[in-house]
Amino acid sequence: MEFPVSMVIVRRVKPLPYWIVPLLALLIGVAVAIIILYGMSGGKTTPADVLYAIRDGFLQPHLLAMSFAFLSIVGVGLVVSFKGALFNIGGEGQIYFGAMLAVWAAMFAPFSASLINGGPLGVAALKTLMIVLSALAGAFWAFIASLPRAYLQLDEVPVTLMMNYIAYYIVDILVRGPWHERKYGYLRTETLPEKLWLKTISGTTFSIEVYILLIIVFVAAYFFLKYTTPGLYLRVLGNNPNLLRSSGINIKLIIMIALTISGLIIGLVGAGYIAGRTHNLSYPVEEKTANYGYTGILVAWLSMLELIAVPIAAYIIAALYNAGINMQIAGAGGAATVFVFIGSILVTYTALITISEYKIKIIVKRRGG
Amino acid sequence: MRNITKRFPGVVALDRVNLEVYPGTIHALLGENGAGKSTLVKILYGIYTPDEGVIILNGRRVIISSPIDAINYGIVMVSQSPQLIDRLTIAENIILGLKKYGYYAPVKLVEREISKLAEEFGVKIDPSTDTWKLSYTQKQMVEFIRAMLLGVKILLIDEALTYLPIEERRRFYKFIKGFAERGGTVLLITHKIPEAMEAADKITVLRRGRVVKTVEKTEVTIDDIRRMMFGERSKEITYERLPPGAPDGELLLVENLWVEGDFGGYAVQGVSLKVRRGEVFAIAGVAGNGQKELLQAIMGLRPIRKGKVFFEGEDITHRSTYYLRLKGVGYIPDLPAKYGVSIENTIIENIAVIPVYARGFIDWDKIRSLALKLIREYDIKTPSPEAPVKYLSGGNIMKVLVSRELNTATKLLVAYNPTRALDEATAIRVRRIIKNKVINDNIGALIASEDLDEIFQIADTIAVMNSGRIVGVFPAEKAKREEIEHLMVM
Repeated sequence: MEFPVSMVIVRRVKPLPYWIVPLLALLIGVAVAIIILYGMSGGKTTPADVLYAIRDGFLQPHLLAMSFAFLSIVGVGLVVSFKGALFNIGGEGQIYFGAMLAVWAAMFAPFSASLINGGPLGVAALKTLMIVLSALAGAFWAFIASLPRAYLQLDEVPVTLMMNYIAYYIVDILVRGPWHERKYGYLRTETLPEKLWLKTISGTTFSIEVYILLIIVFVAAYFFLKYTTPGLYLRVLGNNPNLLRSSGINIKLIIMIALTISGLIIGLVGAGYIAGRTHNLSYPVEEKTANYGYTGILVAWLSMLELIAVPIAAYIIAALYNAGINMQIAGAGGAATVFVFIGSILVTYTALITISEYKIKIIVKRRGG
Repeated sequence: MRNITKRFPGVVALDRVNLEVYPGTIHALLGENGAGKSTLVKILYGIYTPDEGVIILNGRRVIISSPIDAINYGIVMVSQSPQLIDRLTIAENIILGLKKYGYYAPVKLVEREISKLAEEFGVKIDPSTDTWKLSYTQKQMVEFIRAMLLGVKILLIDEALTYLPIEERRRFYKFIKGFAERGGTVLLITHKIPEAMEAADKITVLRRGRVVKTVEKTEVTIDDIRRMMFGERSKEITYERLPPGAPDGELLLVENLWVEGDFGGYAVQGVSLKVRRGEVFAIAGVAGNGQKELLQAIMGLRPIRKGKVFFEGEDITHRSTYYLRLKGVGYIPDLPAKYGVSIENTIIENIAVIPVYARGFIDWDKIRSLALKLIREYDIKTPSPEAPVKYLSGGNIMKVLVSRELNTATKLLVAYNPTRALDEATAIRVRRIIKNKVINDNIGALIASEDLDEIFQIADTIAVMNSGRIVGVFPAEKAKREEIEHLMVM
């Protein structure tokens, strides 16, 4: 028996303008979120409530400043690897491995105490050290994941994903064990010395230090992709690795460089997150994480892997995140509210990305025809 | 097709083109690279829609806006690259597109039909074979069988046979002739005049997006067609031997080389050869006799099991491709669109990717001026050096690759079918450029080709490769075509 309706998928000859899919994903994703929130609250959260919350979310740049910066950094890091068709899903692990080393440098290293008490210069040195170590730790974590990809052609997606959990559990072990604070007995580290906190402009989450870091990252990534040969090879790798082979380029090395640089950039957020947000690590980290490593994936996709669009995507996502928090505070929905936005947009985007390459047609067959 | 016009940004690809094709004929559509042949058939197949003009099928105006529409009208295209899924068997691949059996196609029945059609080709093939095991020719045959099972009435062949060895091509010609005799229509798109003359009944020549003329094959000579295709440039076409090189001193020495093929077994079995400076050393042979593997092994792209390779006296047997590139070795691989360029990247990026042009940091101004120079010298039709390669026509993509590699080859050029995708006039021009470079810059060239015309035109030394071995080496001026043909298929 034949069905009267059939669906046909045809490859597009001319791709859609690249901003159409992200824009549609945002609009439809928000619409889906509105429906879900309406259902979840048993009709108490009206579409108007959600739209107001979103508007407010966008109009609070002073609250968004820090998460926007973190998401931008993660987004840039992911764009670097995604351009080479290397899907680094391990941002979380790279952030936490970085955070772990930052906390070690700040509180547990042999030099910690002397630097903190060493005047402004010592504090500055320690802060820089936290950032550098955090980046290197992220780079190391991604580098490990790049080895099976380069040498065994193992898909990097499950590898980087599983390494997130390894990083979480290593941090958990430290927090429950040697780094456990004794004063109150909670399963967490002691609070980071206040001197090491990121300085924010009062009443906002804007920290000049984070923004300097963001600008450096942005410029360096742009320069790397545009003006260095590994950056070029990376962009070719995503399109046709065969050309690299006949050109004599070592593809294994490019894979390792790409993932390592991606991890290096994302690792920076580890130190930032500790110094700017939580000021400690607490058990179990996998439940306390802000999920920048995952949310950053959405930022990278919405930017369509264009570096210049990363901040735009990051702002939108940070704003929606903020809207979710606002609604949560207002009592609409539980802790999951924030993820409803992110989740529905990501799902919509994944569904829509097909239409940028393929046309879907529904054909209704007439009887007898 | 009446008054078809199609514009792309910056160019008019087709300008009021009229084409009439009748049942029971094989109609060739001839034209040089970028003449608009592909665009026209893509319109007929629903991949592009025309800006102006109509398509009339059996007296009725039809609108074809997708390949699905086309197939429903009985129009099926077989293109240059087989559209098969490697993981599936032949039968499974074919069933995917078949509607006539509904959703649960009886595999056995389809397999029987496939075997029957394969016999018409004069080939025995097991339909339950996995597709990845097939050669290019066999994959194309599967495409033809699929077209037949789809109930094709108008078969579009878009350069699908152009790259097959001649004797295999003839088998396809016989098959399509049989199809035409049963009332089928064939539109054969090609840039090779001999192909059109051999297979077609009628020929339409396209030039710069316009129809020059439609003629009966019997009315014209190859020279007439050349004039129609190339206009003034047809005078450049000659198959005379190009001026000989002045071989002097050994450049590349291969000693008793053994190289494995893709599916186990040795594809190259004890090959020895010597390429001198100032000569074109050409390897003649039917595709699949180890030429590809030999060149890849020399380039460091395939492991060498036994034997040695020396370049300028230095043992480079296990050296990397990168090392050879920096030494000044240019390389034009087989299947250039797949291995030689990245079509999503721009022309300048496709140049900068060769290590001699950029190491560490990229000086884009330098690359850009090199690109402009190559675009000018090779007459590459592109809106700009920053255009993604995918916007270029097939022949122009090949020119990007050939020009880049010739420029890279300051000592040695290694090439496989360097002019295969080019039209006659451009191919001869490229051969001249290669030969001039060999003579003027005193470089060596190792070229494997399946085209004997090319070999005789360009070579100083001709070697014949058969079943992984060199079965004969001749100085070009003493080589006899019959003898070489005999050695190739012996």
